[in-house]
Amino acid sequence: MSMEENIKEGLVKNFSFLENKIQVQRPRRLLLDVDLERFEEVFEYLTKGLKFGHLIAITGLDEQDKLSFIYHMAQDGGIMINIKTSVPKDNFAIKTISGRFPSAEVYERELVDLLGAKVEGLPEGSRYPLVDDWPKGQFPLRKDWKTK
Amino acid sequence: MISALFAILVFPGILFVSAFSLAAEFADRKIHARLQNRVGPPWFQPLADFIKLLGKAELIPTNARPLIFSITPVFALASAITAYLYVPLWTKDALFSFNGDVIVVLYLLTIPTMAFFIGGWYSTSLYAKIGSVRLMTQLFAYEVPLFIGILSGALLADTWSLYGIALFYHNNPMFRFFNIIGFAVSLIALMGKLEKVPFDIPEAETEIVAGVCTEYSGKFLALFRLALDVEMVVGASLLAAVYLPSGMSLGPIAGFAVYIVEIFFIVALISLLRTVFARLRIDQMVSFCWKYMAPLGIAQLLINLIVKAVLIK
Amino acid sequence: MSDKNKFKIPIGPQHPALKEPESFSVALKGEKILGVDIRLGYNHRGVEKACEERTYIQDMYLVERVCGICSHSHSTCFVQAVEEIAGLQVPRRALYIRTLVSELERIHSHLLWLGVAGHEIGFDTLLMYTWRDREVVMDILAELTGNRVNYGMNTIGGVRRDINPDQIKKVLKGMDILEERTKYYIEVASKETTVIKRLLGVGILSHEDALRLDAVGPTARASNVNRDVRRDDPYAAYSEVSFNVITDDHNDIYGRTLVRVKELMEAYKIVRQVLKDMPDGPITVKAPRKIPAGEATSRYEAPRGEDMHYVKSNGTEKPERVKIRAPTLANIQAVKHMLKDRFLADMPIVIAAIDPCFSCTDRLISINDLDRTKSEIVTWEGLRDYSIKWYKEKGIDFSKVEI
Repeated sequence: MSMEENIKEGLVKNFSFLENKIQVQRPRRLLLDVDLERFEEVFEYLTKGLKFGHLIAITGLDEQDKLSFIYHMAQDGGIMINIKTSVPKDNFAIKTISGRFPSAEVYERELVDLLGAKVEGLPEGSRYPLVDDWPKGQFPLRKDWKTK
Repeated sequence: MISALFAILVFPGILFVSAFSLAAEFADRKIHARLQNRVGPPWFQPLADFIKLLGKAELIPTNARPLIFSITPVFALASAITAYLYVPLWTKDALFSFNGDVIVVLYLLTIPTMAFFIGGWYSTSLYAKIGSVRLMTQLFAYEVPLFIGILSGALLADTWSLYGIALFYHNNPMFRFFNIIGFAVSLIALMGKLEKVPFDIPEAETEIVAGVCTEYSGKFLALFRLALDVEMVVGASLLAAVYLPSGMSLGPIAGFAVYIVEIFFIVALISLLRTVFARLRIDQMVSFCWKYMAPLGIAQLLINLIVKAVLIK
Repeated sequence: MSDKNKFKIPIGPQHPALKEPESFSVALKGEKILGVDIRLGYNHRGVEKACEERTYIQDMYLVERVCGICSHSHSTCFVQAVEEIAGLQVPRRALYIRTLVSELERIHSHLLWLGVAGHEIGFDTLLMYTWRDREVVMDILAELTGNRVNYGMNTIGGVRRDINPDQIKKVLKGMDILEERTKYYIEVASKETTVIKRLLGVGILSHEDALRLDAVGPTARASNVNRDVRRDDPYAAYSEVSFNVITDDHNDIYGRTLVRVKELMEAYKIVRQVLKDMPDGPITVKAPRKIPAGEATSRYEAPRGEDMHYVKSNGTEKPERVKIRAPTLANIQAVKHMLKDRFLADMPIVIAAIDPCFSCTDRLISINDLDRTKSEIVTWEGLRDYSIKWYKEKGIDFSKVEI
């Protein structure tokens, strides 16, 4: 059995609710969909237990009524897992991971600025990447924000 | 009266030394460029730069004191040119000379540095202030080796007049070989004074923009740059007078030619050295000066004392 | 120490040490750096949003212009993701040509870095020498692709230009020259006293910190982090060539310099292998205009470190979402860490040592804000109209040009 399948098996064994939520896209690529309530424990297990310790990026997506976040994590062997979680668009916050992954700070600021996501526990600091006098409530990466 | 005016204004005063120092700047830049595999500037580039700067508007920062800001470049240039009156030596008749002029020249050479410091400090820009502080720190580091280096040469000649020193080494050519360490120390210290790589710390472009000159523009900047060029010629002439006097008995024209060659030789040495090094950090520069240069200078002093006791009674 | 001795100096947005606008506010005590605030975002052009409004082919050219130096990195990374979604089998010859251009790009980028590093420590001679030699590889790239930068080599499903035996000969000749020169630079970087004085022990990033801060590329590899996407997650033809991943345990800028010059030697090796083993065959397959719905992530080892693109498609000819993570963004936290308690004089070289590319970092949203006092959002169209008007006043008419 391949490494990817092993990881999948191991995850399902530990978290039964992940059955049918894990997808092996291609060699070295896994896609995982997890609810926000269970996100933390799964994330913890993946980063600590399975050594997906290299945070590559956080992608934010606008999917009509919800905002989705994909945490791109990698292992040293080259296997990469994309952990996806979603929140309803209005007034739901995700927790910051910048405590464990300092490099997440900029990625999370990006989510705040461009997608209007709310991130709990993000340290104070200058905004990124928009200009300081950018009008409030304008989130360019939302689908209803048009450049025209 | 007229001959004094001529000496001050034309030769070897303002006009000649300005032209000469622009030529020296050209030589420095061209050699530097060729060593770096570049084409380099045409011969009139320093003059063109100077004239262009004269024609530019000068901006005085709002917070700066206009008087001090605009007068320091004049001070720098005036003192550098004054220093020059004592150093060119190519005949047996010195132009101006008195016992102790070597000290005067060394102190006159310090004034431009002080002027840079004051100008930078009063321009109130942060970069200029940091540049000023670095300039002073650097001054304390290279001044001592420079003084020891030059004065140990004077010690052997047993005179405090540049003319006397030059004459001594001219008459006793073998004695100058005792001074090789002193020459090296003085040359490197001179590079600190001229803010050349590896000692261009006070104007380190990538850190503090242009250091003390950050806020300067137009004719003030032109004067500052000219002052630095004149300093280079004065420094080179000083080294030439103390360490390589030759051609004094060849008559005025041949002697003058030899003098010019000597200056360009020293300028070429400076260009070579600044091509092969990277900029040091200020703490590294200070420790380098005190750890290696000053002890070497003192060693030179001791050598000359011993030589003097043994060979010259 | 009282507050009197502390002061803050701005490095940027415009500063001679920075080749691109970025703001570092440095708190100083004398020459010592107490802390650094980094404000990014001066280079926003709205690439990600713009990608959603353009077709895949247009996006490829847009993405290529994220950065002028690692342009091939971004376009390859993007097309790889699109090809994965579309399920295209890219011909082997195309993969080899991609590998070739990407290594040539690495050579040109590393030589550029070496020169910039020399300039930052006041060693302009090194700058002049390396940039002269860089012309060799620039000429090769121009010969192969038609451009010195922004090569336009990729297309979805392959590459746009084939290479012929004549060009192969030229590349090999160029590699010989460069290898000779690089040996000399290794000598200079590892033996020259003032260079070592300025680099050794400066910008320390320990192995643990490099892992904790997720540093990438030569920055991480100089801290003995053995990571290289080319080997770990091979793309293009990297699974078929042999090369060493260079690591170093100096943890400082000296180490980063050594890693880069040694990577140059590896790059010459890879280029030679690629040219030797280049298979025959077509260079492109036909790609559909509409890409089926799906998502893919693509990783690529750019000269500066790992580049990642995420593409989500929705079955139309335009992508649903494109996410670009350029290597510099991952290294920003490391820079902050490296600058603490260092000297001001070290700042330029520490920043330069990650080989920053801020235009890569700030690829996101168009700065549409022309008039700061009114803070209105000017649209792309408006911006275009504005620029047309501006040029018209100066006698140049662009309004006939269609976009």
